[in-house]
Amino acid sequence: MSLFEATGLTVGVSGSPYPILRDVDFSVEPGEILALVGESGSGKTMAALAVMGLLPHGVTKTAGEVRIDGRNLARPDGSIDRQVGQISMIFQQPVGALNPTMRVGNQVARAIQINQELDRSAALEAAIEMIGYVGIPGPERVAKSYPHQLSGGMCQRIMIAMAVSCRPRLLIADEPTTALDVTVQAQIFELIKSLVAEIGCGVVFITHDLGAVVEMADRVAVMYGGQVMEELHADRLLDGSKHPYTRYLLESIVREVDHRVEDIGVDFTLRGCRFSHRCLLAHSRCNDFPTLEWIAHDHRLSCFAHPLDRS
Amino acid sequence: MSLLEVRELHKSFGRGADEIPAVRGVDLELAPGETLGLVGESGCGKTTLGRMIVGLSAPTSGQILFGGEDVAGRLHEPRYRSRVQMVFQHPQSSLNPRFRVSTTLSEPARLLASESAGASSSESIRETLRLVGLGEEYLSRRSGQLSGGQQQRVAIARALMSAPDLIVLDEPTSSLDQSIRSRIISLLKDIQKSNSVSYLFISHDLSTVRRIAHRVAVMYLGRIVEISETNQLFDDPKHPYTKALLSAVPTLDPKKDTERIILEGETPNPTQLPTGCSFQDRCSLVHEACRTQSPSLANLGSSRQVECFAVQ
Repeated sequence: MSLFEATGLTVGVSGSPYPILRDVDFSVEPGEILALVGESGSGKTMAALAVMGLLPHGVTKTAGEVRIDGRNLARPDGSIDRQVGQISMIFQQPVGALNPTMRVGNQVARAIQINQELDRSAALEAAIEMIGYVGIPGPERVAKSYPHQLSGGMCQRIMIAMAVSCRPRLLIADEPTTALDVTVQAQIFELIKSLVAEIGCGVVFITHDLGAVVEMADRVAVMYGGQVMEELHADRLLDGSKHPYTRYLLESIVREVDHRVEDIGVDFTLRGCRFSHRCLLAHSRCNDFPTLEWIAHDHRLSCFAHPLDRS
Repeated sequence: MSLLEVRELHKSFGRGADEIPAVRGVDLELAPGETLGLVGESGCGKTTLGRMIVGLSAPTSGQILFGGEDVAGRLHEPRYRSRVQMVFQHPQSSLNPRFRVSTTLSEPARLLASESAGASSSESIRETLRLVGLGEEYLSRRSGQLSGGQQQRVAIARALMSAPDLIVLDEPTSSLDQSIRSRIISLLKDIQKSNSVSYLFISHDLSTVRRIAHRVAVMYLGRIVEISETNQLFDDPKHPYTKALLSAVPTLDPKKDTERIILEGETPNPTQLPTGCSFQDRCSLVHEACRTQSPSLANLGSSRQVECFAVQ
């Protein structure tokens, strides 16, 4: 049994017959970092929001289960019971995700008070300890600052302090360093890795940067058009990936691959594989929906074109 | 001869104790048909430098020589205006959403009419649109109806309309997906091959810069700390900051055994710079001279300059 499992997640816009997430499965083990990677519109953030029960208004989960230690967190009304599962999330824009009118120490203290019964001064003390714990020098002084007085990297550390203060089982990091410089990104990556080793939580790491995947993740799930296309060990991404879309993404880093890419975006109306209208290997079978199948003990693929696939 | 030469360029914002020196004495040259990559992190002054070269911001001191003539402070004049153009990071906010593509592309000629009358002919608009890979059917579209990549093509076409010698591109691909980024980079290279325009390509994305630039300048706190031929810079960086910056970029190959250099702390406050080298507090090679004297760019080989006592 995995620490965390999302199975058959299907999410749609109210009134539309075309799902924006289709039968999405992924799982995370304790201490493991799973990367969800894909381009704009691939559904990677939507998958995280569905897990958190934070889907935007008008977007609903129509099927799927979210389990921690085998226990389903999805309530019958479609919302998610976050308290029990202890899932935390950090967001892409650290400065924007913090309350600009509140000292950061108080914000961390509040996050602590949600999960622990502490009075205000004890929570603030715990908050200062957390701020030091995420590698910020002079935590007493920083706790009294407002977000705008801190750099983006510092604000992201504060967000991480809030997220790990409850000792979560699962941490979802949605492009945590996209808004930051590379040298700061390297610091934040180190921090997340050391926290995972220490707390033993699982991580869903959302990114569009394949380099960051190889750097950070143990396993990677590649998404396109609301589908998981391929899932494999992150070290094998470069030379072991099989899906035409994964290969396309890797190649596009070094050269221009497909001149039609701007004119044909993701087509959510496709019943079959959503990459089929751009895929060079597409054939008539691709008008059906390819499910994610094991092709090796640590490798899953959703593609009819693959020779090992389906006898 | 150089197309562009920048000498001892300074720009400060604010006054007195709050004065922020954004660009602190930059020298660089750009040849016709050449692409110079300008890289560095937030707040290093790369955008301010680009804006001064386009004339959107007046230097505090220093010279901007264009074809040998000092144009600092005069770049708003139409005859210079048409020779240097700019492409911005976010095409959706740098294009007027109410304009059709045809209007967007005829604006430069209308505004610069005194110098390039007649350039607004619909034939030249169609030709430029073709050059950026868009068909005539796009002329009647509004920018809001275009994808991000198509919008950036229109922004590039607008910059090309006045037949400039130099285009300053400020993070032109940062808001685009990887696959579209690759398309735009190929496009920019093709355009350069066909009309030998020069580019100043400002970006924090080192892998994109590597693909397009002939030479790369690395900025830190308002100074160029290393400037070199592109492959030489990426294969063998010399300045300790360049090394740290390059090592911080995640690579795809898990077997690549480069050692990650994690810089301690953050970029110092530009209002309270230390005496001597501004990188001293984060540098692994720091020694006594770095705390008392300021280094300046010195030649290291024929195609590289570095501003560091430890490697000079």
